[in-house]
Order: sequence, then structure tokens, then C-alpha cells
Amino acid sequence: MAAFPSLAAPGSVVVSDWHRCKESKEFFSKILQKMRRKNFGLLESPVMPPHAAVDTVDYKVFLTGKSGVGKTSLAARLAGLSVPKVHYETTGIEVSVIYWPVKLRDSGRVLFFRLQLWDCGDNASRRFDHLLPSCKEQVDAVLFLFSFTDRTSFDDLSNQITKWTEPSVCHIVKVVVGTKYDLFMHCDVTERDVQDFQETWRLPLLRVGGEVSEGLGDVAPVLNCLAEQLWHQDCIAAGSTCRQTREKTVTLI
Amino acid sequence: MMLQDGSTQLLCLTATSGVPLFTRGASRQLPFSIIGSLNGVHMFGGGQEVVLSSCETEGGGKVVWRVFHDSVMLIAVSGSGHGGAGSGKEKEAHLQRLLENVWNCMVLVLGEEELVNIRNVERLKRDLRSCFNLIDQLLEEKQEGILGNLTHCADSLLPPNPSLVQAAVDGFTQAADSEFGCLLVHGRMVSATEKWWRLAPQEIVLLAALMRTLSASGSSSCDYPVFLPHGSPTVAHRLLRFQLLPGADVCVLCGPTPSLQRAQSGLVVRFWAPLAETLRECLTVGGRCLPASVSLHPDVLAFLLINRETRRSISCVLCSHTTTKPSAAPVLSNGRCWELLKLFYNFSITRYFSQEETLCASQDESAQRNTTEEFVRGFTHQPLQCYLVTEECKSYGLQTAQHQLFLLVPPSVPTFALRTVATQTLTDIVTATGF
Repeated sequence: MAAFPSLAAPGSVVVSDWHRCKESKEFFSKILQKMRRKNFGLLESPVMPPHAAVDTVDYKVFLTGKSGVGKTSLAARLAGLSVPKVHYETTGIEVSVIYWPVKLRDSGRVLFFRLQLWDCGDNASRRFDHLLPSCKEQVDAVLFLFSFTDRTSFDDLSNQITKWTEPSVCHIVKVVVGTKYDLFMHCDVTERDVQDFQETWRLPLLRVGGEVSEGLGDVAPVLNCLAEQLWHQDCIAAGSTCRQTREKTVTLI
Repeated sequence: MMLQDGSTQLLCLTATSGVPLFTRGASRQLPFSIIGSLNGVHMFGGGQEVVLSSCETEGGGKVVWRVFHDSVMLIAVSGSGHGGAGSGKEKEAHLQRLLENVWNCMVLVLGEEELVNIRNVERLKRDLRSCFNLIDQLLEEKQEGILGNLTHCADSLLPPNPSLVQAAVDGFTQAADSEFGCLLVHGRMVSATEKWWRLAPQEIVLLAALMRTLSASGSSSCDYPVFLPHGSPTVAHRLLRFQLLPGADVCVLCGPTPSLQRAQSGLVVRFWAPLAETLRECLTVGGRCLPASVSLHPDVLAFLLINRETRRSISCVLCSHTTTKPSAAPVLSNGRCWELLKLFYNFSITRYFSQEETLCASQDESAQRNTTEEFVRGFTHQPLQCYLVTEECKSYGLQTAQHQLFLLVPPSVPTFALRTVATQTLTDIVTATGF
């Protein structure tokens, strides 16, 4: 697929399951508070001691998918915020910021990824024209969401993805996430469908669902996958001369 | 007794055809036939040129109707709770206010145009779902310490360093190409630009409720299209919200620019990073709403102070203080104290004091106020103070040209001392903070 950036094989760029290593503890402890994820205001960021300072790289990630697939829930889950129990429509844009430490496999360098998840209500984006352009402005990655319990949301994926294959946006990282994977009683999308889809599009596809667990194991696969593809894409962009590299290092407050 | 509480159900129908648009509240929905009858009896009245605005059931339940712009009918049905004689008036006032707030919510999210000229009922039904989050909040009234829905005054928090915060809000708002900006701490207004205070009181309260919902989700920033029910019911503005620190949010009401991204990356840190410490000090004020330097009479259980001119209020429950006193009667929970404070406010306002006329006070609403006016008209004077003694607590209300104060004290305080405690509390707060 020429329309897509090359993919990094899982675990080839970043150390997967790094959160389980002992040496990662000093980094992960900065994003935790009393065993739970720490909520950072815009004036805050994880602070490392001066001798162990790490760079932070900032990325904008757009969540897209049909109304009710669970965009807001996924953002809350990934950010370690309380996942809403009742479904309410998001009537505008909500941005959640996630800090996630990652160790690069080749250099052994540690980075804090600052991922801004842009979540926009599907119906709101139809009612108000300015919302989608705002989400797409300088975006680095798109998460395409479908729900395992809603066939139409899965069937619509191809349409959605095609919109992001034009040359101007083809370098943007694309990841597919299937939500409500735990509700197998109501499952509307078979493993076979998913396999076929992956053969056609060759995009990373992740599954989420079920009770939100206390630890990081729940969110690590998604965040590591996202970080890996984003970093991989940045390296390609930096390598090619035609594309200007963006310096994305954020100064720590 | 005035002290009762019951669950409330809200029905929304099209006014002309009686098609149900949505129902919210109460776990068990009313059967369709009852909804139909409630609509029918109102319609019957209309045919006889009678406006049916409320009725009471034998068991103390209450139904309140209101039609907005001849287009949408809202009906509130409230359970009996354990009310008795005399509870009707407060409840009715409360439900009337609820309906007004719900309508404003609907306009805030969808705009007046879609609600007044209904073209496609199915589409409107779908679009109305976007209002449920705010409406459910109004029905549940779970958030302790927030009384704005009732008083239509902005729930405020007085910071230790007001001028610094004010300058930052003004500067940030201006840099975001706007004249409307405010800072919320723990969901209460700390500071706002002059133009923000010129919005209609209902709008200020409603926007604060929206910001609290957004803030509670924990997200870092938002770009929400909002219509202003009085200022701009047909043209949407953008409400930008930024979470500076968990619990501290700054908001601006903008036109097309700046984009959320630009404001977030270019303005937030520039204007607010130097104030991080000041914001942390505001956060430590917490539920007390007053800087620690202001000392209150030790007998005060809870108070609500309204500035009638600026339409701002501060309120706080200090129940935990009494637990240290061995002599104290059964200690009231914080939740119960808030409930009593609300009920006493409603009691005083419907009987003795006047609530500030809101800009849009409609015919129905002034009709509802007649009960107060009747009482007031019977005398040549305006009540300035009132009190109520119950088993749980003693309550005292007083009003001056500038303020209204509602105060709860434990039953152990002698009734003759209430006035002194109240006047002293008012003086203490006003002299220390200039509120």
C-alpha cells in the first residue's frame, strides 16, 4: 500500500512491556499517584530529577468513528480517567493529554511521549463545520474506532480510512481500534472479518474492552503501539530530505 | 414541613401535536397513557382559554407545565417525598425554575432555531440527546455546594489574591480575541472579565454548569459550540476551556478564532505558568469559598451569602466543626446541611424575601411570584429578617439593600441569639473580603 507509511513491526522500535521492567519504575512513578494515573493540568508535566532529565515529544492524535463506538471512553481509559458509565454524546471537541514513558530499542534512550487525544462527537461535527478542520490541523496520527457490537461502525472503516490516503495526509500514522471486545455475547464482527480487513489495509489493529484495570497493562499495548508508529514515522520523515522535520521537543515547565 | 425531597421526572413534548420528545429522571418512567393525559389536560385548558401551570396531588405530588415559544412543552412531575401542608409553594417554585433551566440547556446546546421551528421531529429527538448530560445534572442536583440553579447567582470562590487573578483572566481573554473569560476553581467562579458579568444571570449559571461537567471529565481542554439563551440564541459561539491544574479551569467565549490548538499551545502556558502558585492557593481555599484569613462565628453550620447587585453568591457548610463539640446534638451530614440550606432559601424566597427579577422573567414566572407579592402587598413594609426553628437546626435569613444571607446554626443556639450571629457573620465576611 503506497498510500500508507511503512509500518514498524511491533516491538521493533520501542521496548514492549517496558512498564514491567524494574528499571522503568522511576519513570512510570512520575505518571502515577497513589497507584492511580496522575491527571496533569496544562501547566504541569512529569518532572524528573535534573540528572535523569528526559525529553518530551508532543503528538496530536485524532479519534474518529461513528457516534457511540466509544471514543470518549477510550480517551478516558487511555488517560486513566474515570470512564463514563452512561453514554452521553460529546457535543464538541474534548482533548485529553497523556504522558507515557517509552524506551527506544536501538539507542536505549528514554522519552516521554505527550499524546494529545482529540475526541470530537460525531453528530456535533456534522452540526458545526469548524470542528473537524480544527481536529485535523497539524495532526500526527488518527485512531479509527469501531465497535465489535456495531457492524455498521466496522463496515464504515474503509470509507473513513480512504479519506486519509491522499498524498497530503498519507504520512499520518493510522491505527485501528476495536472497542467493546469484551461483549462477545453481542459481537457483530467476526475474527474472520477482522483478518480480511487487516489483509486489505495492513494497519495495526488493537482490541480494547472490559473492566478498566488498575495497572498499566490495560493501556500499555495501545500507547506503545501508537508511540512506536509515531516515532517510526518521525524517523522516516527526518531521513527524507523533502520533508521538513518538526522539532517537537517540549520544554518542561 | 418544608423539609422534604422527592424524585422528579421530566417530560418533553411538542406543544402543538403532543409527540413525546424525551423523558429524563426517575428510574421508573411514567406510562405513555399518563404522559398523554398530562398533555391532554393542558391542551383542554388551552381550548377553554385557561393556562394550566401546576397542580398538586392528594399525596403531595406536584405537576408543573410550561410551554416555550409555542413549540416545546416541558412537564415536571415530582414525587410526594414526605411532604405535608405548606410544602406545595416551595416545590412549585423549584419545579418552575427547573423547567426554565432545562429549556435554557436545550437552547444552549441546540440553538433556538431548531427548537422553535421544528421541521423534522425524528431529527430533533436525536439531536436532543446531546442535552441529556446537562439536563440529568439539573435533575440530580448531586453536586454539593452548587446552588446557582436555584439562586441564578454565580457560585463563587473568593481567592486570597483577587487582583493578580483578575489581571491574568483579563490578559488571557484579550489575547484569545475575546471579551468574555472566567476562571473556575472547584467549579466555582473565582474571577471573570467585566463583559462576562454582563451576560444574563441564567447564562452565567448555565455556562458554569457546562464547564463543571467538562471539567469533571478530566480532559485537558475543550472547544464546545454554545448558544446563549438570551444573548445569542441563534448564533453559536465557541466555549474554550483549559484545565490549568486539576480543579482549576479557565474559559473563554470566542468567535471563529483562535483555534483550540493555537490557544492551547500559544497562550495557556504564556499567561498562566507565572500564576501556578496563585492558582494552587486558590485550590486550597476549597469548599470553604473564603480565604482562611476570614474567621466565622463558631456556631455557624452553613451559610449562603448573595450579593444582590453583582448576582454572585458564596456558600459553605462547616458541619465538621461541630463534631468536636461533645455537647452538640446529632450531627448533620454535609449533604443534609446543603439540602437544608437549599430548602431554607426556597422557603424564605417564596414567602418573605424577593428573588431578584431575572432579565427574562416571563409571564408565568411573575404569576408564580404572586404568592410572595400577595403577602408583601398586605403590609406596608418589606420583611428584612426571618427565622425558622426545626428539630434539626435553626435557620436565619436577613436581607439588606446589597446582600441576602441565609444561615444555619445548631438547635443548641438560643433563638434570641440568631440575629446577632447572622449580622456578625455578614459583617465579618463583607469587611474582610469586600464581597
